Amino acid sequence: MEDERQAICRIELPTLDEVEIVRRRFRGAAGPHVALVAGIRGDTPEGVRVLYEITRILRQASELVGTVDIFPCANPLAAHAGMQRWPFFDVDLGGRFPGRKDGHPPDRVAHALTQRIQAADVVLELRGAKRAFRELAQAQVPLGQERARELASHANVELVWERSPGPGAAVSFPQQFESVIVLKGGAGNRLTENVGGDLCAGVMNLLTWLGMTDEQLVPVHWAAIQRATHVQDAQVHELRTSCGGMFLPKLPLGAEVQPGDELGLVADPLEARELESLRASRAGRVVAIREQPQVFPGSLVARLVSGPGEHQGKVMSRD
Amino acid sequence: MIEDVFTLQVPFRGAYRLQRLRFGQGSPRLAVVAGLHGNELNGIHALNLLARSLQAQAPRGTVDLFPIPNAFGIEQGRKRGPFEEVDLNTVFPGDPGGTAIQRVAAALLEATDAQVGVDLHSGSLLVHELPQVRLPMSGAELELGRAMGLPFVWRRAPRPADRNSLVGCWRAQGRPALRVMGGRGATLDMPESLAMAKGLLRLMAQLGMVSAPRPGSILADVTHREITVHRCRTGGFFVPEVAVGAQVRSGHLLGRVVAPVGGATLEDVRADRDGIVTALRLYPMVHAQELLLRVAAPLD
Repeated sequence: MEDERQAICRIELPTLDEVEIVRRRFRGAAGPHVALVAGIRGDTPEGVRVLYEITRILRQASELVGTVDIFPCANPLAAHAGMQRWPFFDVDLGGRFPGRKDGHPPDRVAHALTQRIQAADVVLELRGAKRAFRELAQAQVPLGQERARELASHANVELVWERSPGPGAAVSFPQQFESVIVLKGGAGNRLTENVGGDLCAGVMNLLTWLGMTDEQLVPVHWAAIQRATHVQDAQVHELRTSCGGMFLPKLPLGAEVQPGDELGLVADPLEARELESLRASRAGRVVAIREQPQVFPGSLVARLVSGPGEHQGKVMSRD
Repeated sequence: MIEDVFTLQVPFRGAYRLQRLRFGQGSPRLAVVAGLHGNELNGIHALNLLARSLQAQAPRGTVDLFPIPNAFGIEQGRKRGPFEEVDLNTVFPGDPGGTAIQRVAAALLEATDAQVGVDLHSGSLLVHELPQVRLPMSGAELELGRAMGLPFVWRRAPRPADRNSLVGCWRAQGRPALRVMGGRGATLDMPESLAMAKGLLRLMAQLGMVSAPRPGSILADVTHREITVHRCRTGGFFVPEVAVGAQVRSGHLLGRVVAPVGGATLEDVRADRDGIVTALRLYPMVHAQELLLRVAAPLD
């Protein structure tokens, strides 16, 4: 099996130093071509960690069918600073795709990534949780990508969310490719042991399911692979504040709630007053909860996923 | 008269206020916004200069000025405010029931429901821009923009990202909208601020709202085909040899990229056309492929 390291792009810094965007390619017999990308944002170390583990596993593999391209950290300067955005330019690399060949460094990296990944049959982007949140391990696939939706079932996640494209989708990484799965979870800008392990097992299980790697390389027994619940936007409910203050959660991630259950409250810490009680207006499961407490009117504080018959109406309520 | 046209309660600091400065009444109505990006300050000064002029000369019709819609970003000296760390000029038309920044955007769009809209900006923190108006390739905006008499008129096809900008939304609503820019971010550039204020008075004269001031002088009126964009071949320390607004000849030395340690020349940057320097990199540390200068063909 071929194991090749290549710099797909070099960032020339004003100090005349250079930073490489690295691709590690594992190539075996003819077969599927999968691209794994992490660290498009610099505050998602969970995804970088998962690809570190995947690389170590593949190095030990005796054989491989197809090609696995690993881009372990697409935004090394942001990761170096522990920031979401590319430093100096203060741009979100996740919103620069497909990039520009003759643009500034973030645009050139976006362009190089897009070009190098175009040939892949399946693309997996590894992230951490949404900034300021704790989230269940989950797969998100663009609405209408049937193959990605099917493949995501094997990624050892509790939730597969088929998402409609948002206003900025055209310039996002997932929208550039035919079959994309975004794997995410854990806590913003931190590692979460069980989430990293689950996503690592999920990626290896997916490669095994595609017939590329041996089942023995999957870190967990096949019977322990989680069965995902598939949802679409109508089953994912956002709980938002109607006033600003400090959000104090009352329920943990993963909690099952009934209508009327209090998920948290918004407090005014200067006056020691409770401003708003945030309650579920339907039954469901908490799949994301805010950990960074400062909120403004309209801030997202939690996401609930309801069952197939539980997706009518709005979830926001205020006492 | 200064009014709060929208407020939003927020934690710790006190309410956000969208402030409007109104002159006159009735039609026609002009809305001018500055400071959508909190570190672009020239537009704020331009609106204060304009306000002083309008206090001396009452306009026919209504002029609504919004100098600091991104008040929190301005307080913090940052392009984005603290609302979700989002650029306000990317969330229009906004949503009155959405996130805080979507509510601000929706309120501003509603409050600027005028016949003509102007959005004032500075250049980035790194680049100094000649006072300019950016407008579509044709239509009523072209005539209005040229009437401002700013040194640089840049006719540009709309980009996808423009759809969620304030100017993009004004245009989508069928209202002529101009994007005006001058100077550099995070600094107060007096000549550029004054140029923008005078340009706004000429625009108002074109709309019949005030008596005509002295005409301006357009140095370049071009599309991107008549602009040379000079980018850095390699990273380094850029030392300009010209100023914004300079007239240069083909072959003229525009600047040098040197090594930050020792100062050895890495690249001479020379003009490849006769033209006007419309943008100049002032922050000297540059990455490969970053913008150094724009040189536009001069008006015949």
